Amino acid sequence: MELRRRISPYILPFFVSLVYLALYAPIIVLIVFSFNKNPLSFKWHGFTFEWYRELFSSVEIVQALKNSLIVAFSSVFLSITMALFYVFYGTSSFLHRLMLLFYGSLIAPEIVLAVCLLSIFTFFSIPLGITTLIVGHTLIGLAYVVPIIKTRYQEMDYRLIEASMDLGATESQTFYKIVIPILSPAIISAALLVLIVSLDDFLISFFCAGASTLTLPMYIFSEVRSGATPVVNALSTLLLVVSTLLILILTSLKLRTRIF
Amino acid sequence: MRNNSFKSSRAQEYDFAVALPAVLWQILFLYVPLCFIIYISFIKAIDFFIFKNITLANYKALFNPIYFSIIIRSIFLAFFNALFCLFLGYPVAYFLALRAKRFKNMLLFLLILPFWTNFLVQAYAWFFILDYHGFLNKVLLKIGIISTPLHILNTPWAIYIVMLFCYLPFMVLPIYSSMTKINKYILEASSDLGATNWQTLGYVTLPLSLSGIRTGFFLVLIPSFGEFVIPALLGGGKIMYVGSMISYFFLETKNVFLGSAFTVLSGACLIAIALLIYLVFRKLSKPSGFTGATGPSIKTNNSAKLSQGNK
Amino acid sequence: MREIKLKNIKKIFNGEVILDNLNLTIPSGEFFALLGPSGSGKTTLLRLIAGFEKADSGHIYLGDKEITNLPINERRVNTVFQNYALFPHFNVFDNVAYSLKLKKVKKDIIEQKVINVLKKVHLEKYIYKDINQLSGGQQQRVALARAVINEPDVLLLDEPLAALDLKLREKMLVELIDLQEVLKTTFVYVTHDQFEALTVADRMAIMNYDGEIEQVGTPKEIYEFPRSAFVARFVGSTNIFKGILRIEPEKSYLDIKGLGSFEVVVPKDKAWAFDGAIVLMSMRPEKIEISKKKLEGFSNCLEGEVDSIVYHGRSTQYHVELKNGKIIHVFEQNEEHFPQEVIDYDEKVYMYWQKENVVLLEK
Repeated sequence: MELRRRISPYILPFFVSLVYLALYAPIIVLIVFSFNKNPLSFKWHGFTFEWYRELFSSVEIVQALKNSLIVAFSSVFLSITMALFYVFYGTSSFLHRLMLLFYGSLIAPEIVLAVCLLSIFTFFSIPLGITTLIVGHTLIGLAYVVPIIKTRYQEMDYRLIEASMDLGATESQTFYKIVIPILSPAIISAALLVLIVSLDDFLISFFCAGASTLTLPMYIFSEVRSGATPVVNALSTLLLVVSTLLILILTSLKLRTRIF
Repeated sequence: MRNNSFKSSRAQEYDFAVALPAVLWQILFLYVPLCFIIYISFIKAIDFFIFKNITLANYKALFNPIYFSIIIRSIFLAFFNALFCLFLGYPVAYFLALRAKRFKNMLLFLLILPFWTNFLVQAYAWFFILDYHGFLNKVLLKIGIISTPLHILNTPWAIYIVMLFCYLPFMVLPIYSSMTKINKYILEASSDLGATNWQTLGYVTLPLSLSGIRTGFFLVLIPSFGEFVIPALLGGGKIMYVGSMISYFFLETKNVFLGSAFTVLSGACLIAIALLIYLVFRKLSKPSGFTGATGPSIKTNNSAKLSQGNK
Repeated sequence: MREIKLKNIKKIFNGEVILDNLNLTIPSGEFFALLGPSGSGKTTLLRLIAGFEKADSGHIYLGDKEITNLPINERRVNTVFQNYALFPHFNVFDNVAYSLKLKKVKKDIIEQKVINVLKKVHLEKYIYKDINQLSGGQQQRVALARAVINEPDVLLLDEPLAALDLKLREKMLVELIDLQEVLKTTFVYVTHDQFEALTVADRMAIMNYDGEIEQVGTPKEIYEFPRSAFVARFVGSTNIFKGILRIEPEKSYLDIKGLGSFEVVVPKDKAWAFDGAIVLMSMRPEKIEISKKKLEGFSNCLEGEVDSIVYHGRSTQYHVELKNGKIIHVFEQNEEHFPQEVIDYDEKVYMYWQKENVVLLEK
């Protein structure tokens, strides 16, 4: 009984650390093995960078990377722009009451979205490729961006807009000179978010990319499916590092804006 | 702009046009296709908007134990994944919200991080742990719990384990959030009145965090149902779930009609299950009072007077 | 019935020493007040007794049982929190019955007890109400009922009336006094409001900014015979003078620079009250008689000029400037509609007091 009382405060932290261990063990092992001379065997054969070298010289991967980046940045641009215009100019009509529409893409399982997109593309005979990818990723992006920007906009001091108009600015001048700069922390966070989501997205890409286009996650998937080559480990590690860096930037941004 | 009385109608039209694209995008690429899918599920061939071909043949074809077993398998996966995430995630959320003091922010960050890294990469990383020659088997062998390595990969075990850890943050964060809203003095009051830690947990913390549990449960349930990647990669692709089946219909057999019907059917099943679970949560969160005291009591003489006092 | 004893309590928060070497005995069955400014550690002290905090060193006893390391839920001590801390998902009945349910008391007994205790706080009509529908005062009474149903040895109250408006507060103070008399439980009442403390306490302890107990005594002892300038200033208001004590065979005097010599009564058995010592004199404003005329029969007198007058309804407060520039304040009760003497601004006045009505202090 006395023993129980002595160790009982330690049981929960122990359990939680096991969970965190399980959460991170796979990733750590993956990273470590990407430097393994033979990563497919689970024995350590020696340290090497050769997989990373192969990574950068692989034409397929470079192309996949290019595609991922093009799609990601385009989606970011499109979703942010449309969201900004919607939030600022939409309050004057009933449109802003349709906010609920944007939650649909968050609620539905991603495969449903993927399949819907695929069917509409097929029906209208739209060739699958980068364009359709951008359409799909923008759809997802909007669901993240619109709530974020809308909330920040509503929290913004409306009198600043009134002051601007009072001093002679037109609506669009107010929009560009006042609203956007003030919302910029939210805009940047939202943009980073869409960037990460788009770079990491697999399912929508898988369905909407067509036969000839490959994004990075799609490449990883096909490689793993067909029997992983060692390069996939290196690629995965790099993706992890990039995502982590983006998250760190995102969090530090959020922390800084909270101070202001 | 909130006050539009000073605007010309042309300006208002401009506003509308400029704000429209976002909404249009959603409608065109989500809601219209959704209707389209539902429509297609009722026809057998695309004959450009001819409605008379409406038939239930697709659905009849799906009335097959094979398809139902797939749907049920996915329902089990979604439900039990959510349940396991709850069992694992509730203590973690509890620890973060109420016990961890110094490292709380760091631990939260570490929890969110995998959340945002590529699902694919996470799933792939588990290969190294679950493989026959992998990390887990090595550790278990060394400790002596098993004598021969376990076959985990390409079995449902692998799928459940990986799903559990991939979806865990989705469960922990909402519960954590609802727990931080609990006034800490209420928990102190509970101890003060004589409750052990377990009693406080059951009578106070749990009921007050129920909304977080419900949110977390659905955040895991819905996506888990349509999960495609993890069963495909870790289940060896031989066991079919809803996600893989849909993919099969649309990408391999290219039978959009059957595929749409299957999607609609699975979607309907998901909604039905979700509704059921929602009702269960509703029942759980009714303030029944553990002394059974929401109504007048029967036992004392004063009960008549009291029940008059209660509205 | 048990008395509370705190011995050599030390408590540190974030590197700051809140309580150091604190000793206090709270007798059983009394309404005891802990009075002090914000940040004096009085709430910390209360939480130590309840068990929410653990002392870094020292011992706490309840009767002859040491409870220093006893977990919160095992102490026969219950708390009424400042913001009530009622369980939002329980109604009034369930909140109050909570502690009994935990002990698996039988349903009918629980009901009896709940009704009884709710009667004591005049809430029996609200027995099944949702607590969110109650007013602040009602919620406070539910918190009270919840804490006393257990019949604890000690009831701790942490500034329970802080969130209520003035009229309600006054009403609740009286109800609390009545409740304590009925229950005969030891009440430990923490507050920074001296009016509350003086009203309810049988005995009280004054804490200062450094977490030390300055004085313990009945309200009257504390008010009339403060033992330090801090207590004299914190409880009520006072005029403090510094001077040199001059003890002579027949009488003793305090020589104050710039003002003169005043006859005083030297406290016996005080080591600091020796001839030539620098001491303080605390003179309460109501103990001073102010007049434009010369009066007879007082031990001491000061002259001054009226600097400002504040009318308080039942009393008038005069701020008088003395010869040495210092301002002294005097209370006069407004006993008559048409006072015989009217004192106005800038008038020259005399202030008289008896040597027994002031207190000498060490620091």
